[in-house]
Amino acid sequence: MTLYMVQRCLFDHLRRLEAAGDGPKPTIVTEGYDLTPEEVRAVSEPDIGAIYAMGTHPVIINGFCRALGYKRADYRTLLENSGVVPERKKTRWQK
Amino acid sequence: MAEIVMAYSASHAPMMTADPGSAPREQADNFFGALEKVRDTAKEKGVQAIVMITGEHFTNFFLDGLPQIAVGLDDAHLGPPEVWLQVPKKMVPSDPGLAAHITAKLVEQGQQPALSYGMKLDHGFMTVYYWLDNTMDLPMVPIVLNCTTPPLMTVRQFHEFGRALGNAIRSYDGLERVALVAGGGLSHFVGEPRVGDIDEEFDTWLLDILAKGDLSDIIDIPNDELMEAGNGTGEIRSWIALAGAMNDAPGEVLSYVPVYEWINGMGVVLYKGDKEAAAV
Repeated sequence: MTLYMVQRCLFDHLRRLEAAGDGPKPTIVTEGYDLTPEEVRAVSEPDIGAIYAMGTHPVIINGFCRALGYKRADYRTLLENSGVVPERKKTRWQK
Repeated sequence: MAEIVMAYSASHAPMMTADPGSAPREQADNFFGALEKVRDTAKEKGVQAIVMITGEHFTNFFLDGLPQIAVGLDDAHLGPPEVWLQVPKKMVPSDPGLAAHITAKLVEQGQQPALSYGMKLDHGFMTVYYWLDNTMDLPMVPIVLNCTTPPLMTVRQFHEFGRALGNAIRSYDGLERVALVAGGGLSHFVGEPRVGDIDEEFDTWLLDILAKGDLSDIIDIPNDELMEAGNGTGEIRSWIALAGAMNDAPGEVLSYVPVYEWINGMGVVLYKGDKEAAAV
């Protein structure tokens, strides 16, 4: 229902993974969060592009992708296909 | 009173400890060689404790309560929470007297740091700290900064924070030789379509500014413009704060390598200690 709830759900999941250490990885819990069906789908599949398009904080996305086993920049294609590509602007350091 | 006997800023890409061999050999040697020089300098100076500032990564705080600055006040802090970082877990000793003094003196100077007990030391601290002291016995006072979640303190505000932090450390009478360390940056992108990019032009521009000790070109940069160099690049706030603490003295750029395998511009800038700088 809110972006905060999506982010809270992902953040809590990452903490549960951290607590599990080398043990079995817990699956994501969506009960108890006020999420729309689309939000439940996005975090459960997961659909990284949709999670990004909702406005989820990039540090949370990065942590979530790492937990899913993506390394370095190999989740980039999932975000490039999200349909949300930030516009690039001229900066003072560019020659 | 304590002297800041050395200060340095260094990038803290997790891969530098998690998978150091993934970088091209020449780049890794360049970066780690700089960290070895820093480590030798710390031994030579007899550093008794460090104060370390770095970006918060939702390790200690979340959106329900996110301070712009927080000081860890415990006797020791656990690090790192990331099991994959290839750094052993340990309760890293702090100097609680110095931490409490810093907090009080920051408040006296108009800063508003949050107080934090139970702070955890994630890769933002542990990558750089482990290279400084792999026994992890050197006391560390940790300070986290909000560098990624707007509204952010401006670069100028962090520069002022750094000045206040330097004053606070120097007015502490419980130690004689303290090092100030900043972790974070340089340019990098995470969790967005440009993840993996490095803005080498930004990195060399910033390092040139720090080498000259003239921050006028960056001190009033809007956050939106800074973000063009990467959504993780805001972590250079810790480098700016450190420059402020060292009174904008020229820094010595020991290393810069854009390590695409670590998705991070990697750099190290070293500053002379107070007495050495005054003698120049």
